Amino acid sequence: MSLTIAVFIQGIVVLALAPLVTGLVRWFKARLQGRHGAAPWLVYFTLLTTLKKENVISESRSWVFRCVPFVVLGIALFLSLTLPIVFPSGGIPQVDLFVLAGVLALSSVFLVLGGLDAATAFGGMGASREMTIAALIEPTTLITFATFASVAGSSSLQDIFGNGITVISHPALLLSFVALVLIVLAENARYPVDNPATHLELTMVHEAMVLEYSGPYLAMLEYASSIKLTVFLLILGNLVGAGLLTTVVIGSFALALFESTIAKMRFFRMQEYMSIAFFLALAGLILIFII
Amino acid sequence: MSLFSQNLLFASLLFTLFSGICALGGRSLVFHKLSQGLLLVSGVLGMLASFKVLLAPQTVLYFGLASSEFFPVFQLDPYGAVFFLLISLVSFLSALYAVPYLASYQETYHLQSLNALVATFVLGMQLVVVSQSPMAFMLGWETMSLASFFLVVSDRSHESVKAALLYLVMTHLGAGALLIGFLLLAQGFFFADFEQLAALAASAPLWILSVCFGLFFFGFGSKAGLVPFHVWLPEAHPAAPSHISALMSGIMLKVALYGFLRVLLFILPPIGATASLFILGFGLLSALYGVLYAVVERDFKRTLAFSSIENIGLIFTMLGVAFFAQSQGLEGLYQTALIAAIFFAIAHAIFKSGLFLASGLIVRAVHSRDLEKMGGLARQMPLFSMVFFVLCLAAASLPPFAPFFGEWIFFQSILQNFSSQNLFVTIVLILTFAVIALVGGLAIFAMVKLFAISMLAEPRSEAAREVHEKPRAGELFSVAILAFLALGLGLYAPTVLSLIGASVLVSSPAEITVGSATIQPSLIFWLLLGCVFVVWILRRIFSRTAHERIYHGWDCGQPIDASMEYTATAFSAPIRFFFRLILKTKKTLVAQPVVATNPWITTRTATVDLRSIWMDYGYVPLGRFIIGMAEQVKKIQSGNIRFYLLLMFLTLILTIWVAL
Repeated sequence: MSLTIAVFIQGIVVLALAPLVTGLVRWFKARLQGRHGAAPWLVYFTLLTTLKKENVISESRSWVFRCVPFVVLGIALFLSLTLPIVFPSGGIPQVDLFVLAGVLALSSVFLVLGGLDAATAFGGMGASREMTIAALIEPTTLITFATFASVAGSSSLQDIFGNGITVISHPALLLSFVALVLIVLAENARYPVDNPATHLELTMVHEAMVLEYSGPYLAMLEYASSIKLTVFLLILGNLVGAGLLTTVVIGSFALALFESTIAKMRFFRMQEYMSIAFFLALAGLILIFII
Repeated sequence: MSLFSQNLLFASLLFTLFSGICALGGRSLVFHKLSQGLLLVSGVLGMLASFKVLLAPQTVLYFGLASSEFFPVFQLDPYGAVFFLLISLVSFLSALYAVPYLASYQETYHLQSLNALVATFVLGMQLVVVSQSPMAFMLGWETMSLASFFLVVSDRSHESVKAALLYLVMTHLGAGALLIGFLLLAQGFFFADFEQLAALAASAPLWILSVCFGLFFFGFGSKAGLVPFHVWLPEAHPAAPSHISALMSGIMLKVALYGFLRVLLFILPPIGATASLFILGFGLLSALYGVLYAVVERDFKRTLAFSSIENIGLIFTMLGVAFFAQSQGLEGLYQTALIAAIFFAIAHAIFKSGLFLASGLIVRAVHSRDLEKMGGLARQMPLFSMVFFVLCLAAASLPPFAPFFGEWIFFQSILQNFSSQNLFVTIVLILTFAVIALVGGLAIFAMVKLFAISMLAEPRSEAAREVHEKPRAGELFSVAILAFLALGLGLYAPTVLSLIGASVLVSSPAEITVGSATIQPSLIFWLLLGCVFVVWILRRIFSRTAHERIYHGWDCGQPIDASMEYTATAFSAPIRFFFRLILKTKKTLVAQPVVATNPWITTRTATVDLRSIWMDYGYVPLGRFIIGMAEQVKKIQSGNIRFYLLLMFLTLILTIWVAL
């Protein structure tokens, strides 16, 4: 029974915090770049306003187009409920690292299909790029989480985070932690993989895919990506042993600082980024068995 | 054992034979329907027989001549029953599909011979699985190979004949290797059955065992489509009619797997670490090579064929890990990896048959196998596209479908054996894990491309704009059953896994130990579905659903048409670029001036040609070498009869000298 309550509280906390995280990242980024910036809680109002707007549906679309927002937000909800991120013992024990990787891939697949269904070149381009990133980051995700699982002695995420395994207590995990940071950047369409703020065709990945969505559907997709970012930041926070609020504030600041100091990579150089992440993760996994 | 259930197996084979005979009755559609109906009965009987064996352990169904010399030549043991069930299931559904499907191809195919050959093909596969002696096995094997050869040429086009001849050469090299392997093992006993063969193998010297292993690996591997013996597969599978492709890809490859495992588990003594690493290496190579080509391929059915190579590679990887674990004394990993391989094989038979059956409907709708001519089909056949979507998600190994749980149990068992004492074992397992994870990611890409380019967006050709031949009830039904099974097998994965455990690992208890990890597919499925449902409810509460408008897409001020959207080539371009060292492409750009005097205004055509490194650097030079050798040999053909007599005499002396 207590597990059910923990799951619900955790879900509500993550759902409530998610827009704030996105807002904080934007606000910190504006400050770091010398702009005044919008208030961090503006995102709540943006989402509510978008929800009330008219839903414009493309003429060339099939049933897939309408499924996408529901599945993507549903999976984000699934992540926020089942992963042990707020309470160490929260979450559902049967959700292990393979289910996590599979569910993340499922969410990417639906986004990609939504991008392609509208029959525009923009959507296709974003879809092709997102699919490449998702396909090539999946092995890295599996290997990195397998490293944590090997240290914890169990593949269940509950055991990994519940046992208080952090980079500080296990310095050998440092390589895998760096790999995980690279995964988080790629999964959440952040610099240097994607630029979340522009609508330039050269830099768009995520934004290009959701270009045809408007009104409530757009709000759902935006909310889903906020939740995903929050979940990943909380996973990173758990691994350095930071608390919930510290993670949200410091994590958003670190992301904003990182994004303000680095340039976006050209998409056709992504294989370097992906190879670095893959081999870092592989080295991290081999490392814990050598030492 | 009651008389009825004994006769079940025999009746199943008999009905397959009747189906073949009935097909030859005449040109009228009645005979076509009757023949498929008999095949349906045979499938039902076969499924009943296999369930009988599977659900009651220690049961063996047999039939044969009463004479003690040949008894029992044909019997169905629990291990064979797994594959017999697959053969019966897929042939049942393909017969159901063929009734309306072939009716629309009466001009293209010669229905009488086609149906007779299908029945022969199924009969051959059934014979292979129930055979208990090498000779009966080879009889079934050759029946299957020859029937499928004629099925590949059934549309009598130039490409099909070329593909079929390549297939014939490869399959006979393989069959030759198998025959030599069996004869070497039998050491002169022509009619030894598998049990006697196992006894002989136990005392055979190591070099004979090694040579036999190599021959069996080549024989079964070439039939299963392992790289580098796979060259026939992407040519032959697409060339056949779609329900034949489903039979070939869905179950003929599994029959090869059956043979390989029959030899390794029941005949040869446990193979060593070297041989198992050999299997593992070829498995990983096939998986990676197959998936990369599945991503970049533009032909619908060839994509599926390459995806089959990838899946067979995965299965052989699992087998390689299993036997490697056995040689290292990791009994738990051996069992789970073996069970995972068979589970994945079952899942593959289901979803790949479904995809090939679906491909037939799509190809008929747009009159082309080219992905670049498809698109927009989801709006014209929504129900079919949903079923096809489920099959694609299953093929991409995404949760909550069966292949995902096949991979899950394999990954899980590897993960728990990382920390073995031996560092070499750890490194092998980690590298396998990494490569399989990479293959898994790319497999998603291939399947998303297949679904999205064919079904979504605007139609890319006139034929796809208005589809006249929509899927009919029987066709849709059989594809839907397979999609449903792909989901059901995933949800009931734990039950199925323990059933397989009981049937394959006869010597050990059928408990699957994956350490502390628990598998609860239905929990994950219902949670996912519940989350989506909650989102659906919330959206109804928080925003008005009627507040919407249909409008054209964002067009940058210029009307958009189908020529602007992404194609299969463009969609897979990043992967083609990132893996350009493996995926050899030949890009040619031809610029032709519109007016001869003005070189600046030109029409450009670009072609991207996919090359196969195995053909370019392996088979084509080898073929040239053999033809060159033949030219040399021709020199002794002087036309002088006395010289020929001399040659025959010398051969005779040489043979006698070798034999004595």
